[in-house]
Amino acid sequence: MNLLLIEDDIELADSLAAGFRDHGHSVVHAADGASGLRLAREPEHQVIVLDRMLPGLDGLSLVRQLRAAGVRTPVIFLTTMSGIDDRVNGLEAGAEDYLVKPFAFVELLARIRVLGRRPADQAVTVLRAGDVELDLLQRTLIRAGRAIELLPQEFRLLEYLMRNANRLVTRAMLLENVWDIHFDPQTSVVESHISRLRAKLNADSAVDPIQTIRGAGYKFLAPS
Amino acid sequence: MRRLRIIHTESFRLAALFAVLFLGLAGVLMGLTYWIVEGTQRAELERVIDADIGTIENGFRGQGIREAVEVVQQRLGSDATNTDWTGEYIYLADGSGKRAGNLDALDEKVGLMWLTRPYRSPSDGARANGTSLDRGTSGRTLRPANRPDAYGRGTVLGKGVALANDVYLFIGRDTATIVATRTRLIHAFGWVTAITLLLAAAGGSVFSMQFLRRVDAIARTCNAIVAGRFNDRIALRGNDDELDRLAGSINLMLDRISELLENLQQVSSDIAHDLRTPLTHLRKRLEDARDKSTTVDHYSTAVTQAVEDTDELLGIFSALLRISQVDAGTRLAAFHELSLSGLLKELCAMYVPVAEDEGKSLQQRLMDGVTMDGDQELLTQLFSNLIENALRHTPSGTQVVVSVTVLPDAVVTTVADSGPGIPEHERAKVLRRFYRLSGSRSSRGYGLGLSLVNSIANLHGASLVLSDNSPGLKATVSFRRGK
Repeated sequence: MNLLLIEDDIELADSLAAGFRDHGHSVVHAADGASGLRLAREPEHQVIVLDRMLPGLDGLSLVRQLRAAGVRTPVIFLTTMSGIDDRVNGLEAGAEDYLVKPFAFVELLARIRVLGRRPADQAVTVLRAGDVELDLLQRTLIRAGRAIELLPQEFRLLEYLMRNANRLVTRAMLLENVWDIHFDPQTSVVESHISRLRAKLNADSAVDPIQTIRGAGYKFLAPS
Repeated sequence: MRRLRIIHTESFRLAALFAVLFLGLAGVLMGLTYWIVEGTQRAELERVIDADIGTIENGFRGQGIREAVEVVQQRLGSDATNTDWTGEYIYLADGSGKRAGNLDALDEKVGLMWLTRPYRSPSDGARANGTSLDRGTSGRTLRPANRPDAYGRGTVLGKGVALANDVYLFIGRDTATIVATRTRLIHAFGWVTAITLLLAAAGGSVFSMQFLRRVDAIARTCNAIVAGRFNDRIALRGNDDELDRLAGSINLMLDRISELLENLQQVSSDIAHDLRTPLTHLRKRLEDARDKSTTVDHYSTAVTQAVEDTDELLGIFSALLRISQVDAGTRLAAFHELSLSGLLKELCAMYVPVAEDEGKSLQQRLMDGVTMDGDQELLTQLFSNLIENALRHTPSGTQVVVSVTVLPDAVVTTVADSGPGIPEHERAKVLRRFYRLSGSRSSRGYGLGLSLVNSIANLHGASLVLSDNSPGLKATVSFRRGK
């Protein structure tokens, strides 16, 4: 993926850029808001990783100007501002995601990969992966021809996993997108629901499409 | 200095303004009174003069000039001791000159006219004419008579008539009565003015002094707070006047400010003290890794644990910041109507699998369609914390019940468990930051969950009450129902 990293903390930027390259992405780095905005207007970037506090032009204004100019490249904010308002403001300015520093690199990577997916995914009404078929309009799940009953939260969980099939989704991403929970629960909410979903999904099948990535999250495996 | 300050107060200015208004009104009243009284008195004088002229004219018409002269002399009296003189001046003349009267000479004009009172020394006058200027109708000494009055007119009002071709009669009356009335009115007005000004000044000063005293009290309190005595408050009188209400608002503001200040100090000291413990653990672990690890596995384990320690520190940090953010009250602006039933239903659905995995049960007794104004995200965190508390600190087999009930004046939500509960004397303490029950040291958590619940409840004008569920703990959050 082609990434644009706008970050004035050089040490962090170097470390992030090296990490992205290790995972096969190409990175362009800008250290201030003005040059960041200029680079961001170029169409080859697939995801923009943007620091919220920048010298010159701050991240929030940068996103607003970008969106006003019609640039739709997905943006993820990196920020030390963890207030509820800060997140809401960031998303309202036009960013797609918001990650509070410090964060685990694997978390950032997973979010970038999800942001970089084809936008056409959104128009789909039936998600298919192997023998699993999730009808988003009928709210039904069919595996190998057999209908499986899911609770609403289980349905949303599976939908999110399948929309991001073959990509890592972290615990925090699931909490935010399935339950709209923006804090860290002290109990194993995600694990318990995944195990329920697995039990229902795999009741008559030997293949478990939900892969656990230890210490990171889950991945829904879809045969290509 | 103080006297000057009094004059510059609003209440003194108000008193002065009222005094001026009152004086204006009094002046108008006095003027009207004077106008009416003088008019009446003058009309009365003219009537008397006309009657006297009539009497003399009758005498003249009947029996000629001789009779007229007699009537005049009768009227004026010839006796030197005549005490009935009523301030009347008469002048009767025919072709040959003055025939009778107490005026020496006169410009013989017809109609109303003013004359200067002829001067006589009181004794002379009394002797010469049998009249006494001392004996005005008012009984007061008349002013020296040859001086025009304040209006520049004479002091005698009279009327000249031609009784026949060459017979002229003038009858005048002293206007001392009118002058005396006027003098009395002016004196009265003077007194009213003086008393009004005195009362206004005294009243204005008293009010201003009271006002200044109270303003000074407010200023003293504010200065005391500037000087660091944050607990000082302005004393209220309890009469709910404008200054009391102002002072009340200032006190409320001070309460809020000192709350925020306390909150800030609390967070600072929390960070300073309570983050030390996990930092110490982290440091020790890293030191051990450096000094004792011999294999890559050892190092790897130590680093993984150090990352976990760091995450725990960050968790404490976020929780503290979240609490202080909630306590600061800035989230009030984001309140909107939300479905409390829906929120709790979703949370229960979220935690049922967790409960079941731990061999516990989570039940809901929720009324449908309960709505309230609040912050969705914070309320989610509030109930999430309460449910997680009930799940985390209880043994397997525990029942947890989440309920919402609508009362006439409140929406009551409870999270009750059948676990070991919290001893009564510890219930208030667990709301404190970093306070953990002695038995729960081993389980994960920072002792911030209930503090956050308490803060969020306070933000929503609700109270968190922990009570005995016999057995177990019952956490009740009662939201006041909007009017």
